[in-house]
Amino acid sequence: MRTRLLLVAALAVAVASAGVLAHHGGNLYDTTKPVMLKGTITKFEWGTPHNQIFFDATSDKGEKQSWVGSTEPAPVMLERGWTRRSLGPGDAVTVYIFAAKNGATVGNIQRIVKADGTELTASGGGARAGGEGAAAPARP
Amino acid sequence: MRARLTSAVVLSAVLAAVPVILGAHPSTDARDALSEAEGQAAAPPVPPMDVHTLKNFLPIGPPDPLPKSAVPDLSGDWALDNRPGRGGIGQSMSAADPGGRLRGKEPDIPYQPWALEYTMRQTPPTGPDAGFERTTDPHIHTCEPLGLGRIYMYPAKTKFVQTPEAVYILHELGPAFRIVWLNAKHPADPDPNYWGHSVGWYENGDTLVVDTIGANDRSWLDQLGHPRTEKFHFVERYKRVDKETLELEMTIDDPGAYTKPWPGRRNFRISDTGFMRFAWVCSVRDNYEHYEKVGAKGNSGTTTFK
Repeated sequence: MRTRLLLVAALAVAVASAGVLAHHGGNLYDTTKPVMLKGTITKFEWGTPHNQIFFDATSDKGEKQSWVGSTEPAPVMLERGWTRRSLGPGDAVTVYIFAAKNGATVGNIQRIVKADGTELTASGGGARAGGEGAAAPARP
Repeated sequence: MRARLTSAVVLSAVLAAVPVILGAHPSTDARDALSEAEGQAAAPPVPPMDVHTLKNFLPIGPPDPLPKSAVPDLSGDWALDNRPGRGGIGQSMSAADPGGRLRGKEPDIPYQPWALEYTMRQTPPTGPDAGFERTTDPHIHTCEPLGLGRIYMYPAKTKFVQTPEAVYILHELGPAFRIVWLNAKHPADPDPNYWGHSVGWYENGDTLVVDTIGANDRSWLDQLGHPRTEKFHFVERYKRVDKETLELEMTIDDPGAYTKPWPGRRNFRISDTGFMRFAWVCSVRDNYEHYEKVGAKGNSGTTTFK
């Protein structure tokens, strides 16, 4: 039963996210499973048409990689509880991202967990935006 | 055509009468001038449009008499409702296919052949058929105003300011505003523009009906390339369902591009994060830079727009 519920929840997330992820090339990204990356924020660009989040992470092979992930634009992220000060250079983060299928270090941010445990949800409805019945954040 | 003939006849009569009034037969010069004037009168550059003669599928303008209705309270900041099943965020105007997965094959869009061909010739900037770096979307390349309908294909907020004479619809995307004139009729010959001319009235104590004509054909109806023409007649019904919910039913009535009216829908929920806290301004530079920073790399190195 629990597995079924999880499957339904995962499907709901996928469906709810589809419209968002389709924005500007969602077909470029592997939306079946977010990749988890631990790293450090280098730049946070807050604006339109999308936010850009630059961060450095270390690959499985120990190589340092520079990533860029995008989210919905600032006005939408305000609805999800983000602000322009939500992230800053030097922040240690765990990033869950739908990465490019071609192996490039870019993608669509799904969720970010900061070192102090603060969660920033980027996909689906989000707590503020969705309220009752909102899609849960995508989890790896 | 009838207007052109009428204009030609009237002008001819006036010019022919001049020498009679002066008590002389028309001279050769006058006859030449008359012939020239007849030639010009036969093809006026822009025949005036009379909205009362437009052959749309649906009646245009407010019902007569206007229904009696209490004024619904539309106050609040309205965000598109992106909860699952609420149809809030979508790229297409199609009520049956808001996500754009059936572009060109939507069961509820009655395309005329040219409109289907036009739609499928476009490369959308978003949606399942997206090709951002080669999009034909004028909004991406030149920030052409979004205009009627398409403004609701983006997750930005909307606000209504109600006065006795008009309802002002404010969009933080653009930012843009529209005026919906209450207790008013459309002008006979509106100048086509992105937002058209809107009149409105209330129904059932809970609904604002907005009736718009006079749109230009320079904006897509949505993000997927569905066209509209200067015959576009747009009906919006904003219904305040409860304190936190506003439903919008749209009807696209455009005999220039479609064979019958068809529906679009969006739902809104109340928002408490502040209106215009971040105005969503279109910037060509931001559009291109976003693609080059993120999309291009995922697109195997295409770094320039075509």
